[in-house]
Order: sequence, then C-alpha cells, then structure tokens
Amino acid sequence: MNWNSVLEFARGPFFYAALLIFVAGMIYRLVSVIGLGWSKDHVPAKGSKTGGVVISFLKGILIWPFIPWVKNTFSRNPLIYIGGGLFHLGLFVVIFLGAAHMLAWKSLLGFGWATLPLPIVDWLAAVGIVGMLILLINRIINPVLKLISGPAEYLAWLFVFLPMITGYALTHHLGPRYEVMYSFHMISVDVLLIWIPLSRISHFIFYFFSRAIHGQEFGKRGVKA
Amino acid sequence: MPAETIAQSLKKSGVSRRDFLKLSGALAVAMGLTKIPPDLAGGVPIKVGRGYSINQTIAKALETKTRLPVIWLEFQDCAGCSEAITRSNSPTLGNLVLNTLTIEYHETLSAAAGFQVEQAKQDAMQKYAGQYILVVEGSIPVADEGIYCTIGGRTAVDILMEAAAGAAAIIATGNCSSFGGLPKADPNPTDAKGVWELITDKPIVNIPGCPAIPEATTGTIAHFAIFGTLPELDGLHRPKTFYGVTVHDRCLRRPFYDAGKFALSFDDEGAKKGYCLYKLGCKGPTTYNACASIRWDTGLSFPVQSGHPCLGCSEPDFWDGGGFYQGQSAPLDRPELAAVGAAAAAGAAIGIGAALINQGKKKAKGGEK
Amino acid sequence: MTATEQALNTFVHETGGWVASQLEACTRCGMCAEACHFYQATGNPEYAPVWKVELLRLAYEQRFTIVGGIKSALGLNRRITDQDLQHWSDLNYHACTVCNKCSMVCPMGIDLGSLLHGVRAGMAAAGMVPADLMAAVNKQVEEGSPLGMTAEVWDQRMEWVADEWEVEIPRDVKNADTLVVFSSIEVMKFPTNIAAIAKILNKAGEKWTISSQAREIVNFGFYEGSEEHTKLFLTRILEGAKELGVKRIVVTECGHAYDALRWHAANWLPEANNFEIIHITGVLGELVGGGRIRLKPGFFDGKETITFHDACKIQRKGGHIQEPRDILKILAPESFKEMTPNREDAICCGGGGGVIAVKAADPIRYAAFGLKIDQVNKVGAKMITMTCSNCRLQFTDSVDHFKLDWKITGLAQMVADALVE
Repeated sequence: MNWNSVLEFARGPFFYAALLIFVAGMIYRLVSVIGLGWSKDHVPAKGSKTGGVVISFLKGILIWPFIPWVKNTFSRNPLIYIGGGLFHLGLFVVIFLGAAHMLAWKSLLGFGWATLPLPIVDWLAAVGIVGMLILLINRIINPVLKLISGPAEYLAWLFVFLPMITGYALTHHLGPRYEVMYSFHMISVDVLLIWIPLSRISHFIFYFFSRAIHGQEFGKRGVKA
Repeated sequence: MPAETIAQSLKKSGVSRRDFLKLSGALAVAMGLTKIPPDLAGGVPIKVGRGYSINQTIAKALETKTRLPVIWLEFQDCAGCSEAITRSNSPTLGNLVLNTLTIEYHETLSAAAGFQVEQAKQDAMQKYAGQYILVVEGSIPVADEGIYCTIGGRTAVDILMEAAAGAAAIIATGNCSSFGGLPKADPNPTDAKGVWELITDKPIVNIPGCPAIPEATTGTIAHFAIFGTLPELDGLHRPKTFYGVTVHDRCLRRPFYDAGKFALSFDDEGAKKGYCLYKLGCKGPTTYNACASIRWDTGLSFPVQSGHPCLGCSEPDFWDGGGFYQGQSAPLDRPELAAVGAAAAAGAAIGIGAALINQGKKKAKGGEK
Repeated sequence: MTATEQALNTFVHETGGWVASQLEACTRCGMCAEACHFYQATGNPEYAPVWKVELLRLAYEQRFTIVGGIKSALGLNRRITDQDLQHWSDLNYHACTVCNKCSMVCPMGIDLGSLLHGVRAGMAAAGMVPADLMAAVNKQVEEGSPLGMTAEVWDQRMEWVADEWEVEIPRDVKNADTLVVFSSIEVMKFPTNIAAIAKILNKAGEKWTISSQAREIVNFGFYEGSEEHTKLFLTRILEGAKELGVKRIVVTECGHAYDALRWHAANWLPEANNFEIIHITGVLGELVGGGRIRLKPGFFDGKETITFHDACKIQRKGGHIQEPRDILKILAPESFKEMTPNREDAICCGGGGGVIAVKAADPIRYAAFGLKIDQVNKVGAKMITMTCSNCRLQFTDSVDHFKLDWKITGLAQMVADALVE
C-alpha cells in the first residue's frame, strides 16, 4: 500500500468531507437546541444578570475552578481537576500555537499568527496526553464515573486521544514512517471531526450556554456565581 | 572487452594502487556500507577471508570482477537524471562507475545515432542476455496503446518490455521512471506509469528524485557491479542507504525548526538568518532522500540549504501533493465559502426541522397532560 | 398511560432550549458528585447529581435528538421502565435537597438544581412521589398546611404566642405595608421565632400584619415538583396579600418557600410581581443597616463559639449572604466564627427539599448531617444559628439523634434577644 496516497486522501477529500459534516452537524445541534424555545423570565432580579455572566465566564475560562482551595472540592477528586486542566491546556496550546496546526488554520482561514517554539508545544502536548490518560484512569476507577460512563464516553475519549497520540508520535518520528503516522493522524482527525457533532465533545459550544445560564441565575439572585 | 577486470581498467586509465584503495574506501562510504552485505556469500563469486574490512572486500571485488554492461533507456523524461549523472563532480564515483561500466546504449550519450545505435542495443542485449543492468529514465505512457512516446516507431512499453526481458536487474532513476513523475501529474493525459507498475518479475530499484541524486544511482549500480546483488530496499523499492531518513532528519536548518524559528517569506529577516522553511511549504518531514547528507555538486549545497523549501521530489505524486509553498500540515483542499455555507444551511435546515418536530412533540404531550 | 410515559411526557414538555442546552453541555465528568453531601457522606455513586438527572437526559436524547433516533433504530436505546422510575424517585426525593451546590462546582456551570427540579416534575406527574411526602402535600391541599395547621390551630397558636411572649401580632390589617407569612414549622415547632419576629417588627415601627387567609408559607407542592400544587399554594398567599392590599410579602425562615415565591412565582402567576417579595433575613439587614432597630454590640460574646449555617435556598439561591454576617458581627464580634466552606459554597444541612418529610430517607439524612458535624466541630462552635426553619428542624432533630450538646437557634431570635429596648 502506498501511504502517501492514503495521506493524500486523509488530507484531501476525507478532510474536506469531515469538515463539512462537522460544520453541518454543529449548526444542526445549535439550531435544534435553540429551536426548542426559550421562555421569558418574569422574575425581578435582585442583582445584575450581566455581571453574573461576566463573573461566570471569568471563573470558568480563567483558572478559578483550578484553584484548589476555592471550592474545597479539590481534595475530594483531584484527578479530575488535574487531568481535565492539563488536558485542555495542552490541547489548546497544541491546536492553536503549534506551527503545524497554525498552518492548517491559515490555509482554512486565510491568516496565520505567531507560534510557540516546538519544545514548548511538545511538552504541552505531552502534558495533554498525560492529562487524558489521567482522565481515563479516573473514569475507570472512580465509582461515579464508572456508573455514568458508557460506550459513548469511552469512544469520545478514544477519538480525542488518537489524534493527540498520533500527532505526538508524528513529531517525534516514533513508530512507523512519517507519512504512515501522518496518515493515522489525519484519519483520526477526520473521524474526530465527524464524531464531534454526534457526541459530548460538542460541549465546547454548549459551554457558552451553560456558563451564561449559570451566571444569569446567580447574578439574578445577587450571588457570586 | 568485459573480460578486463575493473581494477585493470582503472590501472589502464592511470589510477595508482594507492588511489585505487582510496576509491574502494570511498565507494564503501558512498554505498553506505559499514559491513559486508549479508547476501554477499551467496551472491558474489569472490573469496573473502575472515577479518577482511569492507574496504578490502571492495578492493578485492574490484580486482576480480569484470566490468558491468549497462543499457540506459529514456522515455517520457527531460534527460535531467542523465545530466545529473554526467555533472556528478565526484571523480571517484563518476569515473569509477561510468568509466568502468560499459554503457552499451544511451540515447543522449551515445555517439552513434539512428539505426546504428538501435542495432548496437540489439547486439548488446543478445550478447549480455541475463547479465546487463537496465537503467530506465522517464515514465512510460500506456494510454492509447502507448502512442504518446515512441522511438524508432516502437512504443516505450514495447521497448521497455524487450529490454527488461534480458536484464539482470532494473534501476529506475528519477521520479518519472520510479513513480510516474511530472508526466503522471494530474490529469495524467498519457496515463504515465513507473517501471515497477509494469514489470513485476525482475528485481527493480527505484532511485526517485527530480533529478535523482547521481551518487544514489551510481552507488546502486556500483553495489550491483561489486556484490552482484541489489542493496536493501524500502517499501517503495528505494535503497535504504539513500532513502532511509528524511530530508528533515538531516537538515541543517533542523535546529531552527526545533526552536520554532521560521522564515515567513523568502526575503524576510528569518530567511536571511537561515531559519527553517517549514512555514514556506517545506516537505522535508515526509521526504525520504539523501539531499541533506550527500547534497549536490560534491556536497556543495542542496535546495533547503540554498533557501528553497523541499518539494518532496523523491516521493510519489509530489506534483499533486498540495501547493509547493503551502505548509505541509495544511489540508489539501480548502472548502470554498459556498460549500461551508451549504453545509451550514443544510445543518440549519435539519436543525429547524428537528426543532419544529420537537416543538410539536412538546405541544402534543402538553395537550395530553 | 403508564407512569413512565407520564413522566417522560412531562420531561418532554418541560424541556426547552434552556434545559436542552445544559443537558448538551454536560461532559459527564462526575465533578458534581464531589459537591453532593449525600454522595460525600455515603459514597454511593448513584447519588451523583448527574446520575439523578439521568432519566431527564435519556428522555431528551430519545425523544429529541438524532443520536437518540439512530440508537433506537439500532435497538441500543435504554428502555425506561416503571421500576427505573421508582428507583430514580428514591434517588431524587431521598438523596437530594435541590441545594444546587453541584452547580457551583460544575466546570460547565450547569444549573443542576433546576434540572433536578425538572426531574421532580416528571415524578410528580407520574405519581412517583414518596407516600409520606405526598401525604403532606395532600394535607396542605386539604387543610392548608402539611403539619396539620388548620385555620383553628393557626388561630389558637397565634393567640398563644402573643399571650405567652407578650407581643402584639397584628392580624388581617388592611393596607398594612408588610404581610408576614410564617411557616407551619415555626408556628408548630419554633413559636419563639414568631415572637421574635413580631418583637423586631414592632420595635422597628413597621406597619405589618399576618393574614388568616395566607397562613402558610411552606410550599410542599414545590418539594413535590408539581406545578399545579405549587401554584395552588402560591395563589393562597398572593390572594391573601391582595385582599389586605399590602405592598410586600415577607417570607419568614423557610427556604423552599422563599425559592418558590421569590424566584418562581412570577413565571406562573404574573400577579406575584405586584408585591415586593423578600426574606426576613433581608428585612433584618434593612432594619439593622438602616438603624431602625439597634442591637446590643457583643451581646452573644464571651459564651460559646457561634457559627452560622448557610441555607441553600436563602443564601446560595436567595442571595441573603451578607446580611446575617453583618448582624452577627455586631452581636458576637468575638465569638462568631465561619465554617468552611461557607457562603455560596456552603454544605447543605441535608434535610431540605422535602427529604426530612420522607421517613425512608432518615439514614442518609443523618449520614449527610455528619458532614455538618465535622464542619461545626472544626470551628468548635456550640451555638449554631441559621435563617431557615427547615435547616433548623434538621439540626434539632439530628442533634437529638446524635446526642450533641449544641444550641440551635435562629438569626431572628438572636436579633430579638439583643434588641436595645
């Protein structure tokens, strides 16, 4: 088998199709949720809803949930904070600040930006991978996670993990030859793109809804969200 | 003529014993040999005592083996690979290989022309049947019964098949004869093919490149001349010696890649400082070739060194592998805005449909309550 | 129609974009379990809030989404049975106080409290409410109060309180500014609270009244999750208020009632917005802050250490977080110590949300109270004050159960005791 043609397929038509499926799927998810209707809140507010939303996002996007003593829950289940935090940190840095990924964005968006040196990106990629492994282990050993995890959760984990591990192997020339690994990487990315609208990985969109709702509800009551 | 050994032929042309031994060593290096190939015992009729170094083995082989007849065919090519071979400034290899081989047929190099030279080829094929090396340069068109490349009224396929029948081994030099090269680029009007796609019953070595690195071609021929066997090959039939690592692996700009320092245009500060060309579309990471280590013109330079990103010319279908100056990690096709819009519209349509149905469900259930 | 269908239909009916977007946002990370006192106390993974809303999620997935459609086409859908419903009814009514602490730790900020309330709505529609809780609801429908506080009983008790503590309790005063509605818990179990509030309001010169029509602030329909019953009980209060022509309604020390009247009533009954609805804690804050009553500084100092228990519906969900602290800093600047975690992150008492009314939930209710015991012991407090009678009921009951030497009191009572005459 000629891996360069596999790679060409994965970077070409497969990616193209996966991207369009991703766009269509995400728009569908958004529209179908919004289309369920929103009832108006007639309750007079005590505090500022807008203020609550701002705090909620600051808290959510910044490090607030990751400061252990803030919530007094850190000691209960530290793995989920550490794993989840490291994973998202690694993921964002690699996807947006890795030179190779920036070039992919550039070719899609038409503009690029400065990237971080490879060793830094590389370390963060490793951190992200370790984070994912921690999350998996936690999912397997924590009784609550064991209860609430079904095939969908493990598949979602796998489909996120594959691009990360193949990408890491790729930059380090581990395992099979570069174009073979690169093919694996691209195929796993394509599969992920298709899987996102079908799964909970799409939470990155609904995050903005739930965070805003949280802020609104607490802001309305005059409570620090 | 071939009764003369390679050593004798060299001596005749004025190479001293000392130079001869140096050549043997240089040859071993060129072939990337650090030890005697494992198939030596079976494949080479030379007696090598225990404890012989590789240089001594080669010297011994050169002293005992006769010169190797070569037939060089050109089809859909630019003669660039031949050019490269003749421009090879490495006297050791160039002289050694070219002078010690008997090139029986080469369209560009042969002094003779027309029917004469065709006759010479026929004679050579008969005389050295089963012994000669067939070197092929250029792709072979098979569309419309091969009419897009004919020599002396015969199609390339025909000529190739005839010459291949009596060859001991076939060496495809350049990307065209290896993988189809430029003639095969989309839309490939002549249905150009590489040799190995047409011939499956002969040992074939691919020396892709545009052009092939001459030392890779000569080194491979020398390997066969000396040991009587082909060097170890990779999955694409390329000698591992020359195609074992990527251009990126041996690149002199690699430290800049690792440090995240990139040239962003051909004339910016980064380019002047010799930063990595990855962002200018360098295909080094997926390109297996020896450019970065052997280089060109006696190791003078190679494209990346001189400031141009690697095009990946030793890989199959490199012409169609995305823009030469587009980052390698970029997807090959950028969906047009219209396609994205259509996908979004389709998603929205399904979403609105689902919402309407679900609203209906909500009302129905509410009514029942 | 089976109970399950009833429940699922209610889920479908209740699920708008607000609920759907939050269900979609959940990553099933399980962090909410770490906030739940029932899970923390028992270690039973089924008490994870995310698992408690599982039926709601399944109903949404199966009825509303394409993935659910694909799954049912492949026969992969989990069929929800009446047994499931019973099981989740137990989970939700026995092991959830709808205290919403889970939403504080959810990294996605999902307002789990509301979703959990939605689950109760489905259970209520399916008739899957625990029998003792349901009996209390029915009692409130028929007699006006779940604790058997009929009109006569109320009448007698109020008379008695006024006599016993020698306070004036204005009754059915037309055009008073403020209507105070007590909870039957106070009337029947903590009458001192009524006396204390009456004393404070009289001292402040507030034009206030109680209403013989709007007698009961407690809303067991809200515990149950039934919109119909919740509305019925809210209407009784609003009509009483309308009849007397008051400007504002003061909810006394009852959390759930405050949640229902302040934060939900207006969405069902627009007339709720004709009144200002405020919790007694807010009133105390106003009176003290505005100087209308004066307190003896350090009145409670020098005795035992005092700590304040944050009630989920009044502090975290009600916003009256600062007032009690301001007051306690006057009353006991030395002896008042905060528990950790506190304020909006406080740990729930474990008896709210109707849990205390369900006999079968007693073991886990006491288990959850164990967390509170640890917290209180850590600050070394012997006197615990709060602003919610339901919490107070849970505290007094558990103090009996665990034979603790704590003094349980209400904030209003402390304020009344320390009033400068």
